[in-house]
Amino acid sequence: MFFQQIINGLTLGAVYALIALGYTMVYGILQLINFAHGEVYMLGAYLGIIILGFLTSIGFTAISLPLAIIITLVLSMIFCSAYGMTIEKIAYKPLRNAPRLSPLISAIGVSIFLQNFVMLSQGATDRVFPPILKAEGLTFLNARITYLQIFILIASVLMMVGLHLFIMKTKLGKAMRATAQDRKMASLLGIDIDQVISITFIIGSGLAAAAGVMVAMYYGLVNYFIGYVAGIKAFTAAVLGGIGSIPGAMLGGIILGLMEALGASYISSEYKDAFAFGLLIIILILKPEGLLGRQVGDRS
Amino acid sequence: MKKFLYLILFSLLTFNFSLFTVTGCAKKDDVIKLGVAGPMTGDQAKMGTDFRNGVDLAVAEWNEKGGVLGKKIAMVVSDDQHDPKQAVSVANKMVNEGTVGVIGHFNSSCSIPASEVYNRAGIPMITPASTNPQLTERGFDNIFRVCGRDDQQGAVAADFVTNRLRLKKIAILHDKTTYGQGLANEFKKALGNKVEVVHYGGIIQGDKDFKAVLTVVKEKKPELIFFGGIYPEAALLVKQAKELGIKTPFMSGDGVIDPKFIEIAGPSAEGTYLTFSPDPVKIPTAKVFLDSYHKKYGDHGPYSIYAYDAANIMLTAIKDVKSTEGKKITEKLHTLEFNGALGTIKFDKKGDVTVAPYVIWITKGGKFEEYR
Repeated sequence: MFFQQIINGLTLGAVYALIALGYTMVYGILQLINFAHGEVYMLGAYLGIIILGFLTSIGFTAISLPLAIIITLVLSMIFCSAYGMTIEKIAYKPLRNAPRLSPLISAIGVSIFLQNFVMLSQGATDRVFPPILKAEGLTFLNARITYLQIFILIASVLMMVGLHLFIMKTKLGKAMRATAQDRKMASLLGIDIDQVISITFIIGSGLAAAAGVMVAMYYGLVNYFIGYVAGIKAFTAAVLGGIGSIPGAMLGGIILGLMEALGASYISSEYKDAFAFGLLIIILILKPEGLLGRQVGDRS
Repeated sequence: MKKFLYLILFSLLTFNFSLFTVTGCAKKDDVIKLGVAGPMTGDQAKMGTDFRNGVDLAVAEWNEKGGVLGKKIAMVVSDDQHDPKQAVSVANKMVNEGTVGVIGHFNSSCSIPASEVYNRAGIPMITPASTNPQLTERGFDNIFRVCGRDDQQGAVAADFVTNRLRLKKIAILHDKTTYGQGLANEFKKALGNKVEVVHYGGIIQGDKDFKAVLTVVKEKKPELIFFGGIYPEAALLVKQAKELGIKTPFMSGDGVIDPKFIEIAGPSAEGTYLTFSPDPVKIPTAKVFLDSYHKKYGDHGPYSIYAYDAANIMLTAIKDVKSTEGKKITEKLHTLEFNGALGTIKFDKKGDVTVAPYVIWITKGGKFEEYR
C-alpha cells in the first residue's frame, strides 16, 4: 500500500510542481503573487478538451493517440502562453512602479474575470474529457500505475529538466537570473527587462497549461473553478519550497503531493486538504523563507 | 498603441471561447409568484435545470388554462449553488420577492437551513429531492417533500446487500454533506451486525483525487463499496478504483442517478448498484408528462417528474383554498390527496409522502435500468 500511495502522491505532486513553477518564477522576478495563475491552468485544461475534442472529431486520434495528445499539449501550451503574456501586458505592466498591493489586486481581478468568462462561454456545468483513454497500466510490487500516470510523470520531469537547463545554460536564462537578483542593475547592463518578464510569463503559463491538460486527461472532468483550489495548492507548494526558488517549487510540489496521499491513507481522508494547508502554516512559522529559499531583506 | 494591440489580441483569444447564453425573464406585478430554488450553476447545475424545467412545464400548463385565482403564474428562479449559506440568502430573497410557495431546494444541506427561513415567513415549501430525514423531523408544518427519505433508502440498500447479494464485508464512504453522510449512516445502521464494515470514512466534496483513500479501501478487501454522495465524486471514485485495479462493485443512492455519472466514469460505471424510485417510464400515469417534457426540453432528468408534481400540488392547493395565504395553503397540503404523474401523493403529519417506494437500479450498457 505504501508504494501505491507514493505513486498516487508523485502524480499529484508533479502537477502541483508544474503550476508552482509559474508562481515562483513570476515572484522571483516581479515580487508579485500572480493570483491569476490558477486560472491559466484552468484555461489550459479547457483548451485541452476543446483541441482533443476537435482532433477526435476529424478522426485524428484514431490514427495516433500519443501524437494527438502531444499536439493537444503543445497547442494548449502555446495558447496559454499567449494568454499569460497578454495578461501581463494588460494587468501588470501598467502597474509596475505602483505600490506592491496594486498589481496583487489587479491579479485577483484578472482571476475573477477569467473564471466568469469561462463560465459564461463554456457553461457552468462539468465538461467531460473525450473518453479515449483507457485505465490500462502496469502492476508491480502490488501497486498499479496507469500509462497515463507514467506519461504525466515523464512529461513533468522532462519539462522541469528543460526549464532548469534553460535557466542555467542559456543567455536568456542568465538574463532572467540577473533580473531576479536586481532588476535595476540588470537593465543598466543592457538586459531588456520587458522581454525577460514576458518570457517569464510565457514559460510559467505554458507549464500551467501542460498541467491543466494532463489533469483534464487524468481525472476526465473539468469545470470553471478548478483553477482556484489548484492555484492555492500550487502556491502552497511554492511557499513550501521557498518562493522565488525554482528547484524549491519542484521539491515543494512533490512534498505536498506525497503529504496529501500519505496523510489521507495513514491519518484520515477527510482532512486531506488540512494537511496541505497545515503544512503551509508550519513552514511559515518555522522557516518563513521555505525549504530552499534564501533569506532576503525587504526589497520593496 | 501597443497596449491597444494587446487588447485586440486578448479579445481575439477570448473569441475562441464564444457562444454566449443569456436567459431573460419577464417581470410583472399582477402575477402569482412561485419560487424555484436549486443549484442552477456549478457542478450540479444539471440537477437544478432538470427540476426547473419540471416546474416550468407545470406552470406553462396552468397558465395555458388561465393561471390560478385569475392570475398568471410566474416562476422566480434562484440559484443556491448547492451552498448552504447561499441557500439561506436565496430563501430570504424568495420571502422578500413575495413568493406564495417554493419548490426546492435540491440538496438536503440547503433545504434544511432554508426551511427555517420559510418556516419563519410561513411560506410552504415542497422539495422534490431532499431526502435527509432531519428536514421533516423538526416540527415545521409547512415543509413537505415528494421524494422518499434516506432512512427508507438506506434500509432498502442494506436489505439488498445482506439478503440478495449476501455480502459480508462492506466499505462505506461519504462526502461529508448532510445528504451523503446521512445516507451512509442510515445504510450502516440498517446493516446491523450481520455485516462487517471494514472501512467507514469521508472524502472531500469537490476534490478530484480519491486514489489515496481508495488504496486504503483496497487493502481491506471489501466485497462492496457503498458511497453516500452526488454523481461527480461517485464517477471519479469508480473511475479511479478501476485504475487502481479494484474490481469490487460500487453502490450508491439517488444522488448518483444522472447521465453525467456514466459520461464521466465511462465503462467504469458498469455494474454500479443504485437505490432510486421506480423508473418513471414504467409508471403508467407518467406518460403524458414524459411526452410533453420530451417535446419541450429533451430528455428528462431523474427529478424532473418530482418537480413537476410538486409544482402541481402547490398550485392545486392554492386553487382549492382560493387564497395565497401561506397558512391556508399549508393546511390544505396536509389533507390534499393528489393524483399526479407519479401516482397518488399524500403527505403525512410530518410532511413526508405516505408511500415512498425505493427499488434497486444498476448501470448496464451505458444506461441506468431497474435491477431485474
